[in-house]
This record gives sequence, structure tokens and C-alpha cells, in this order.
Amino acid sequence: MTVLELEGIQKSYGRVQALKGVSLSIPQGSIYGVLGPNGSGKTTLLSIVLNVLSADAGHYRWFAGNERAHPRKDIGSLLETPNFYHYLSATNNLRITHSISGRGSEAGIEKALRRVNLYERRNSRFSTYSLGMKQRLAIAGSLLGDPKVLVLDEPSNGLDPNGIAEIRSLMKQLNADGHTIIMASHLLDEVEKVCTHVAILKTGSLITEGPVEDVLSDEDVVEIAADDMEALQSLWAGQDRFPQLQQLQLQDGSLQLHFAKGAADTMAINRFCWENQQVLKYLALKKKKLETRFFELTQE
Amino acid sequence: MMNLLKTEWLKLKRYPAFWLLVGICLVSYPGINYIFLQGFLELVERQSGAGQVLALFIGEPFSFPEVWRTSAFFSSVFVFLPSVLVIMLITNEFTYKTHRQNIIDGWSRQQFMLAKMIDVIIITMILTLIYALTAFVMGYTQTTDPAASKTALLYYVLLFGLQTFSQLSIAFLIGLLVRKSFIALAVFLFYSFIVENLLVGLLKYKLGETDLGRFLPLEISDRIIPPPAFMNRINEEGYKHALALVHPHIVYTVILVIITWLLSFYLFYQRDL
Repeated sequence: MTVLELEGIQKSYGRVQALKGVSLSIPQGSIYGVLGPNGSGKTTLLSIVLNVLSADAGHYRWFAGNERAHPRKDIGSLLETPNFYHYLSATNNLRITHSISGRGSEAGIEKALRRVNLYERRNSRFSTYSLGMKQRLAIAGSLLGDPKVLVLDEPSNGLDPNGIAEIRSLMKQLNADGHTIIMASHLLDEVEKVCTHVAILKTGSLITEGPVEDVLSDEDVVEIAADDMEALQSLWAGQDRFPQLQQLQLQDGSLQLHFAKGAADTMAINRFCWENQQVLKYLALKKKKLETRFFELTQE
Repeated sequence: MMNLLKTEWLKLKRYPAFWLLVGICLVSYPGINYIFLQGFLELVERQSGAGQVLALFIGEPFSFPEVWRTSAFFSSVFVFLPSVLVIMLITNEFTYKTHRQNIIDGWSRQQFMLAKMIDVIIITMILTLIYALTAFVMGYTQTTDPAASKTALLYYVLLFGLQTFSQLSIAFLIGLLVRKSFIALAVFLFYSFIVENLLVGLLKYKLGETDLGRFLPLEISDRIIPPPAFMNRINEEGYKHALALVHPHIVYTVILVIITWLLSFYLFYQRDL
């Protein structure tokens, strides 16, 4: 079941092509991260699916077209900046959100404000809030009425480290409760820590997308170490037992064995070393950092 | 529709500028009428021959039924006050990007514009009520002839409402086009106080009887409430001409209002937010 499908979405601002035919499919129950450098088209993409911008070509469909006339009323969203009436309090701003979207209730407003730790300041005017508090209110607005889908554009913007950790844990908790979260971010660490799926955009084009594990790993890297590293390196340099071994690399006191994706068998590696009188003191199947993968993909 | 009204009321009822401008209108609309009434009373109470002649000439502009027309004209002078509010209401949405949030939260663009139109209607109704109460109180206290009809010119309440709605709609369109509060306010006030008055005068001077200036955006609806009789007695022909133009200008004003809102809806519909 998909929550959102995009097909060939294109958008230009004058001569600048912000999106060049992006097609995506976002599965229900995922935390879907849209990653990309500044100007890659993340916010444009989210603005289109939230009807703030019109696509020049292509189309998108929420809930496989099975929802009521205004699917956005079932979607909690935070797009770019917190947009609220500056002369109204948090509670009164959320009353407007409730009135427009039909999401939540008076009790729901209180619950949402407690969830983002803004309840104590609920009666203060929005104009008196710090950037972090404004962001918290925007997140409370998106949580109102427990919508089944959340669209969050840079949700950690302006939050202090505690706030960032709280929002991450909130997202994980919401996801565990069955909510689908679509999140745009340029914070690789954030995406890596919370997302189940990721799409990477570069200058308006989709470079790759899929489950985070699949996107991150284009190869398997096994790190091994023994007392005699020279002997270990010689053993592996001369072996022909593992034809899928692509590369050997001595790095930071360990030997890195690069295999084709899905080809690394750690038990076989361990056994091979043991049979050749090399006792391993360290063996690990390494995951590639998203940061590394992101730079590889966006700089290709 | 009720949801749109409820949501706009949530925005309006705690907006300080809304209550400030309603308060100013509550003072200024009766205020200007009272000032002219006092001038009129001083004039007719003069015992001099000239004063008595002038009093006969002026008639009874503050008695029923003439007061409905007199008060409509004087009250309409202050339409720039609520125009400021209307411009603030739409430009604030752009400044704080709340128009985007309203759409993100689930309104269609048409619903957003309909909600804004409701704002303008609410403000028009408040102003019309202030004018109608002012006119009624003045007429009630100043009418000496028991046979005078209270309702003969009551339709001026509708004309006042139409004129106010038309001019506030133009202020709204300027706000929608310009987006920035102070620039929109400057454009509207400069146009309404200077540019249009100059153009109306210039066109009258240059083209004489064709009087093309009456088709300018604010002047179209200005002509549905002509100056009271006593301000035109010196030019009887001119006054009759002004009265004759009221009916066609009601039609022109309705057409202008429709065009203004169609244009506003179209602009907002096709625009990226």
C-alpha cells in the first residue's frame, strides 16, 4: 500500500529547472527521508504535493486516490517555516488549524502542545516565541488529531540538541504507532538515525531511492584484524577462495575487504583465516555511513 | 461556508487592528455627521436675513427622509479607514505566510479567497450598520415634521453597503497584487486621494460632457451616492444629472464588484504560493 505516488513531476522557476521529472512511491508505515543538497528541489517537491506550488508536468496521488476530496486534511504538515498568526497564542493558532483541517479537538490541542513541551506557554503570543518554540508549535500543528501521514520539512530547524533528540524519538514513536512520515532534510545524521527509506535528489533529479539499507550499501565491507597484519594482508592478497572480493585496503590498523553487495560471508572469512593460521582478533561487517554514500552519489 | 466564517472570525476577533479600526469608525462616522449637523444648526438659527434665506435654500438635510442620503454621503468619505484594515488583513497573510498554511491545512484556493471575501463582507456590514444607526439617530432627533417618511430613502442603506463593498474590494485587490502592507497602503491611498481625483477633474476639464472620469474604479461607485441636495442647489442641472446617473452606476458598480472578485480569485488560483 502506498501513501503517495509521484509520476514525472517537473517544475521550473523561469529558466531554472527545479524538478526534472521526479517519480517516487512512498510506502505506508515508512519514515521516508528526502535528502539533497541546498537547491536540490526537496522543498519544491513537498510544496507540490501539499498544493502550495503547481507542477508544470506530471501528477501525484495521495492514498492511491481512495481518500475523500481533500486528502490534505488527513496530513499533518510543516513546510519550510512555522507559519502562524503572530498576534495569536499557540492555543488560538491551533484552533485555526483545527477549524481548517478538521483535525483534532479542543482536548487534542492541549495534547499536541504537551507533546512538544509548549503547554506552559500556550497562552503567549506567537510573536514572543523563540525560533525553537515556533518550530515546536509547527510540529504540534502537524500532530493535531493524529493524522496518519506527517510531512515535515527540516523538522529540526531551530531546535536545541534536546529538542532534536525529542523530535527524533517522537518520530520513531509515531512511526511505531503506524504513522507514515515524509521528511525532507539536509541533515544526513538525522535521516540515517530515523528514516526507513530515503530518496536522494540532486539538482532536481532523483538519483536513488529505496530502503535506507539498500541505498547505503552498494558493496559489503568486512573489517578484520590479527596480530600479524602483514601476514594477514599477504594471505588475502594471494587467495582465490573468494572470487567476489573486489578490493583490499589496509586502514586504521585493520584490513578492509570489499565484496560485491550481498556477497560477504563472515563465517567463511573467519574459517578461511583460521585454516591459514591467522587468528582474528576483530571481525565486523561494516555499514557505509550515509554521509559517505551521499557524497559519492551527489558528486558523481 | 459556516466553517469559513467561523475560521475567519477566529482570526479577526483577536486581531487588535480590527477592533482599533472598528473603534475609529464608530467615532468618525457619527463624528463627521455630527460636525455637519452642528454647522447646519448654527446656520439656520442665525437671525440674519441672509441666514434665513440660506436655510430655506438648504432644506432639511438631517431630517427624514433626506438624512439617509446626507449621512451616506458624509460617512462614505471615511471609507479609506476600513480600506486600511482590508489591506492589512490580506497582506498580513502574505507577510506571515499563513495563506500557505491555510492551503497546507486543507483549504482549497477558492475556499481561502471565499474566506477573505467574507472578511470584506463582515467589515462592510459593520460599517453599514454604523452608518444606518447614525442616520437613524440623527433623523429621529432632527425631524420635526410628523408626516415625514422615515423609509422613503431607506434604500440608501443598500447603496452605502454596495459602495463600501465595491471600494473595499478594490483595496483588497491592491493588497492581493502588491502583497506588502505598506506599499499596498501607499498605493491605495495615493491612488484614491490624489490620482483618481486628478484624473476625474482632468477628464471632465478636457472632455467636458462625456465625463469619462466617472468610469474610474472608485468613481464608479462614488456616483451612486451623490452629494446631498443642499451642496448642489447652486447648480440645479448638475444635481439632476447626478441623480439620473445613480441607477446606471448601480449596475456599473455591481459589474465592477464581480470583475474585481473574479480577478482576485483568478490571480490567487493561478499563483504559486
